[in-house]
Amino acid sequence: MKEKVKIFLESDSLEKYLLGHTTKEESQQVERYIAMYPEVRQTYDELQKNLETFAKMYARKTPEGLKEIILSSARKERMISRRFYRYAIAASVALMIFAGSSLFFWNQNKNLQEENALVTNKIKYLEDDMKNQLEDMRNQFIVLNNPDTKKYQVNGKKEGKELKAIAYINPVKKLSYINVSNVPQLPENKCFQMWAEVNGELVNLGVIKQFNEKDKLLALPYADKAIGYITIEPEGGNSSPTVENIVANITY
Amino acid sequence: MSTLIEKHIVSLLAEKDDRAIALLYENYGDTLFGVAHKVVKDDELAQDVLQESFIKIWKKADSYDASKAKLFTWLFRITRNTAIDKLRSVNNKASKEVQIDVSDVYNLGVSGISPEHLDVQENLDKIEPKYRIVLEALFFEGMTQQEASEELDIPLGTIKSRLKIGLRELGKIYGTTMALLIVLNLLS
Repeated sequence: MKEKVKIFLESDSLEKYLLGHTTKEESQQVERYIAMYPEVRQTYDELQKNLETFAKMYARKTPEGLKEIILSSARKERMISRRFYRYAIAASVALMIFAGSSLFFWNQNKNLQEENALVTNKIKYLEDDMKNQLEDMRNQFIVLNNPDTKKYQVNGKKEGKELKAIAYINPVKKLSYINVSNVPQLPENKCFQMWAEVNGELVNLGVIKQFNEKDKLLALPYADKAIGYITIEPEGGNSSPTVENIVANITY
Repeated sequence: MSTLIEKHIVSLLAEKDDRAIALLYENYGDTLFGVAHKVVKDDELAQDVLQESFIKIWKKADSYDASKAKLFTWLFRITRNTAIDKLRSVNNKASKEVQIDVSDVYNLGVSGISPEHLDVQENLDKIEPKYRIVLEALFFEGMTQQEASEELDIPLGTIKSRLKIGLRELGKIYGTTMALLIVLNLLS
């Protein structure tokens, strides 16, 4: 017999292993010895047999009826575990459906929120726009109906001969408007542009779009002794008026 | 236990066939009930322990590895551990309820070496008490060798040798008893 096998058998490792008193590492070592050395296997088998013999000495007759109780609880246990698996599968499926629908609703909710934010912004923009327009209308109304408002007929000259406009100036309210009622046809690369000279400075009032701007009151910046000009400029407008192309002026 | 029945039970257990439980009960029930009773010292508790142990055996059937232990060794470990746990939980409960110092598990076990059955006593008498006490402490009280040494006031080395001799002599003792019984049977 190998020396280390002898030493192993003389130690109490096998007995401890038999009783389940070994650590994981010790168990692994004992199992290795059992597998490798037949004499260790034999001793272990004997120990097991002796344990059974010893335990049998303490055998007691089991009470009547206990067998039936144990058998029925084992059956119940099996049913519970089967039911558990069934429930577990059902629960997993339900969970997956729930997760799927949650994701779907979450996405939908996110989209709706985004849409909602967009609509809210749009409404706010429209509201501001409407307020501005209303304010504008109100001012126009005030100007047009005010007895202090003076009405100036503006007639074009040169190429803008057919240009007709009416300026409304109210020196009391310090408001002025112009309504361009007829815009003559210009070559495609030309346009009418309005200007105002306020306190010695020229202010660009923008291009008169040929048809859309007709019959629409445009606000003019007000100043005492201001002068309004309409010039013909290259298409898209100019940064400063071309003096020789002045087709109309309004002094107010 | 014949190896053939053992193998049959093992294969039934692996297949989760509940006939395994009936066979286990018929072949090992009395012994395991005795083990449980030896630990908890109470008939009703022992019945509970046996029931719980069988459920554990049934549930853990997949984990049984025949290459590591004989079926009985496995059954014994489960029953003994269940019984020790039961006794501890009962003692804990009692000490909580009554609020007095209760002697611990080990004392109960060692002081209770008074088998009620004469046939058991007869068999046990064949083992020298010095070995029997050590074997009982280690087998039924769940003590480690160190704990047994302290509890029984026997040096650790002696515990080791008594366990070894006790366990290894058991076969011989049992063998003699069996031979005697056979002779007696033949004579009658």
